Amino acid sequence: MRVSLNMIRQLVDFDLPPKDELIEKIGAQLGGVEAVYDYGQKYKGVIIVKVISCVNHPNSDHLHLCMIDDGGVVKDVERNADGHVQVVCGASNVRANMSAVWLSPGTIVPQTTDNDPYKLEVRDIRGLKSNGMLASARELGLGDDHNGIVDILDQVDAGEDFATKYGLDDIVIDIENKMFTHRPDLFGQLGIAREVAGICGRQFKSPSWYATKWDITETFNSELNFSVHNELNQLVPRFTAIGITGVKVTGSPLWLISALVRLGQKPVNNVVDITNYYMLLTAQPLHAYDYDKIKLQNEGSVNLIVRKASPKEQLKLINNKIVTLSDKDIVIATDKHPIGLAGIMGGAECEVSQSTTNIILECATFDMYSIRRSCMELGIFTEAATRFTKGQSTQQNLAVLGAVCGDIETICSGKISSNLVDDKHETESSSVELKTSADFLSARLGMNIKSDEVSKLLSNVEFECNNNGNFIDIRVPFWRTDISIQEDILEEVGRLKGYDNLPLLLPSRVLTPVSKNYLLKAKSLIRSRLSAAGANEVLTYSFVHGKLIDGVGQNKELAYQLANALSPDLQFYRMSIIPSLLDKVHAAIKNGTERFAMFEIGMTHTKERGLDNENLPVEDQYVGLVFAANDHILFEGAPYYMALKYLNVLTGGEELSFKPISIEDQKYAVMCPYLQGRSALVSVKETGQFLGILGEFKQSVTSKLKLPKYCSGFELDTTVLADVIMKESSYVPLSKFPSVEQDISLKAPVDICYSVLYDFVHQVIADEAPKNTTFKLTPVDIYQSPKDTNYQHITLRLSISSYIKTMTASEVNALLDQVSLRAKESLKAERL
Amino acid sequence: MNYDNEEINKTAQLLRSRFQTLTNKEEILKAVELRALFDAIKTMPPENRSVYGKELNNLKDELRTLVDTAADNGSADLPPIDVTAPFDVNTKINNRATTLTSDFGSKHPLMSELERVLDIFYLMGFGAVESRELDDDYHMFTSLNFPKDHPAKDDYDTFSTIDGYIAPAHTSTMQNRILRTYRAGLLEGTPIAAVIPGRVFRNEDLDSRHEHTFYQIEGIYVGEGTNVGNLIATLKTFLERYYEKTLEVKTQPFYFPFTEPSFEFALSCPFCDKAGCTVCSQTGWIELLGCGMIHPNVLKEADIDSERYSGFAWGMGIDRLVMMKYDIEDIRHFESANLNFLRQFK
Repeated sequence: MRVSLNMIRQLVDFDLPPKDELIEKIGAQLGGVEAVYDYGQKYKGVIIVKVISCVNHPNSDHLHLCMIDDGGVVKDVERNADGHVQVVCGASNVRANMSAVWLSPGTIVPQTTDNDPYKLEVRDIRGLKSNGMLASARELGLGDDHNGIVDILDQVDAGEDFATKYGLDDIVIDIENKMFTHRPDLFGQLGIAREVAGICGRQFKSPSWYATKWDITETFNSELNFSVHNELNQLVPRFTAIGITGVKVTGSPLWLISALVRLGQKPVNNVVDITNYYMLLTAQPLHAYDYDKIKLQNEGSVNLIVRKASPKEQLKLINNKIVTLSDKDIVIATDKHPIGLAGIMGGAECEVSQSTTNIILECATFDMYSIRRSCMELGIFTEAATRFTKGQSTQQNLAVLGAVCGDIETICSGKISSNLVDDKHETESSSVELKTSADFLSARLGMNIKSDEVSKLLSNVEFECNNNGNFIDIRVPFWRTDISIQEDILEEVGRLKGYDNLPLLLPSRVLTPVSKNYLLKAKSLIRSRLSAAGANEVLTYSFVHGKLIDGVGQNKELAYQLANALSPDLQFYRMSIIPSLLDKVHAAIKNGTERFAMFEIGMTHTKERGLDNENLPVEDQYVGLVFAANDHILFEGAPYYMALKYLNVLTGGEELSFKPISIEDQKYAVMCPYLQGRSALVSVKETGQFLGILGEFKQSVTSKLKLPKYCSGFELDTTVLADVIMKESSYVPLSKFPSVEQDISLKAPVDICYSVLYDFVHQVIADEAPKNTTFKLTPVDIYQSPKDTNYQHITLRLSISSYIKTMTASEVNALLDQVSLRAKESLKAERL
Repeated sequence: MNYDNEEINKTAQLLRSRFQTLTNKEEILKAVELRALFDAIKTMPPENRSVYGKELNNLKDELRTLVDTAADNGSADLPPIDVTAPFDVNTKINNRATTLTSDFGSKHPLMSELERVLDIFYLMGFGAVESRELDDDYHMFTSLNFPKDHPAKDDYDTFSTIDGYIAPAHTSTMQNRILRTYRAGLLEGTPIAAVIPGRVFRNEDLDSRHEHTFYQIEGIYVGEGTNVGNLIATLKTFLERYYEKTLEVKTQPFYFPFTEPSFEFALSCPFCDKAGCTVCSQTGWIELLGCGMIHPNVLKEADIDSERYSGFAWGMGIDRLVMMKYDIEDIRHFESANLNFLRQFK
């Protein structure tokens, strides 16, 4: 939102604080200042001059040689005996006795200041000296007009400063729009001026034309006949219109062009510029239609119909873009078809142009939600729509319409010549009344404020306040459509007063210590354990490509799909963590990393898990880890055992059980990427809870994601893992006596897996060990002879000690004899 | 699967039946018939090439899938292993799989920073609750006093799923739940004090300063007599502990539908002490977060009496904190899984 300090100055009746102070104050009490533009700098040294004489350049068929009078204000320039300066000018409209704008030598052409500043010099043009130039509107950065130099028609003196005369000695600040989302009034200079007065602690008074109703009692000759039919009383609570005849459409006067340019609006023609000017001033958009073009199009009668567009109806807008409408859009139409997209942009067919003489001015209020929906669907965002979508009041239409009519009469010679149409569906007395108290405001702000001060602050910005001791009765002015409750007043009072001197006190708290979040604590521990084992924590997007889901064998139908994804890469919520990690493996290896373990702690979503008690998709917490190494590095053994190693580091010695995965298991998304025969379901031995899956990846996954040969990983349910790793350590008392160690090797058929054998041996020792002993059983070796693949040799080491005496080798031998006897009986495993 | 081109279709049928008979399934990809189809492209009129080439590639993909699927279901190269064993058969003790050493390891800088931030808030008496990554319109907007179709929603370019769920654009999506969860305690005299870390999503294009996925930490405090001074004091206290120095803070009015009044909160630049540096763009100030007093409608939506209780809330980006701390030039590094980046953060 661009704000002109010159315009603010005209609207307030006190001197504004110095620029920097004011900008800081606006930042602290109104909204973030994004940019400051110094127009005074841009127009420095630009002077109004009188052209004294103008003759044809002797060496040219189109150039003119002029002597100009600058009142002698410019120093260091060559003058003739009369004190006039010679300038060569190519414009066809240059003539003696006109007032023009002179850019003297040393001046920077205003049009060029923002990009590539161009400094004028004394130049020789076809043999004659030219001291600078007479400027066109385009060279002055005041629109696109380059068909001649600026021809000043106002009463001016030679040597007057151009910027001062036309308000270009201005500072324009740009305030972040976001701050004003709820403030329709702040999209006009008038509203900003009111707030500036308020934050400076000064009384603001709206101009009388705005504050008092337009006196419309006089009757006009009604040369222009037209009717308005509003079918949408809810969505268009007010629609005012009036006809004006005898309009002369030309370029706008300089003061108006200057105002529009400073506020970032492009000048078009005087009629359009006046409506835009009032929009920028009051935040009330207006639109002018060419009466005769409507009449021609509608076969003689001028009827404006406010209605919903029919589906697929088309409209060519004034930017020449053709839009296809839906029944959600509001249009202004004739009996035939739409001529304007309500509240957003007028139509090309009936726009005001050079030939226009009769116009209809519209000043309406449209439903903010409806306008916003249309903007979003059509992708059209205009200054008018920006204002309507903030919810303009219906109570300013007539005042603004009246003021615009007045200016059209002054500037374009147009006379009102129809009755006023005022179609209105909201009562004007609906202004909000509120009660608050100084106590409430003091308590919520955290500082003491008296009711007198409150009503002063608020009445400065034209709220009506009545104090009744501690209580304040407030009538909210109509333009503040954002205020409905006490807290809204709190915001006003705090802001207008400023928070600079607010006492800063921490809230009181009870001494009950807070518990750390259990799962976050577990995640922190997971992070520490895995990174201590050389693994790298990564974060990857929650959204993945459909191809990745397909690639790992998951079913896309079960993934939540985004309706408005940025790209196909980010179209589905990931169903498990591992695919996202596998997707990064190839890049990491190409990047030169020889070996790595990457892990991610995250959330996954799949439709197979259904909805939770809030009727929302279940959010699963998982930890995924992938180990991978460059193909040049040779490891012994299957990659499976590397992932297992990481699992053991992570779970810290918890007893787990492993079961090969089956086809049946692979219907679950989390299992899909894993290779049967080399992957296992992992559960917690003690509770039987499912912890996750660990293993190598399918050949199809390996080939699609270009995985190296040595690659494995796991994915664990973080909530189950949390219980495992957050468990307190358990302690076994130490024995005072030395322990005895002895190995036992058993030759077992290959169909007996390691854990069966180990568990069996462990059980026998536990059953048969002498009383008061403690023991550990650890694996030493698993060997298979290439000549005899039906058997494998498993070597375990027993370490046992007694709490009451030193154990003898023979006791241990006897124990292991028991083991071998029983193993032979039950498992056909022979001791070697 | 049928192919429109007759030659391709015929070859497809032939190769499918041959595939069944092969011992080395990979050989199918080197079939001479397939090669011949590819060679035919060279002699074909250019306008036919694209359609033909597409079909031919589809055939190649079909065969690749056949090969992969066969491999998935058991392959001679990768025989089954004993998944219950602690290490592979016939591996020597010194050559068995061992994890990498800790010097390779790293924690993600966003997560380490989040832990540090959380620790300070724990000490200040705030509990922590994780945010959701898939939510609904009610929690994201309605419960936070966003009227339907309100332009305020424009500032939150949200992703939504075709089933109508929403990828939250702010951690405020948890406010209503937090208020409801701790309401009982509040009525018994324990103020609600919670922070909500989480991953949030904005539908915006990526560049070195903008990510569609980032991390926020939300804070909520509700009690009797809570005021704006408490809000500013709380944030100032946190930041001074976080940066371990005395700071100046200031507020700027802002607009959020769920707070009234709303502020943008800035602190004096902790990296240059207001002297002006690249982190603060020479302004001496850093705009860090949005905050405000919780709107009474938000409290009411959680059945909390807004006349008796008042509170404040804020939302702060973690990515920004970390970028400033380490002078990280590109926000996209965070979710890149680039190990050269990550291994710098121990």
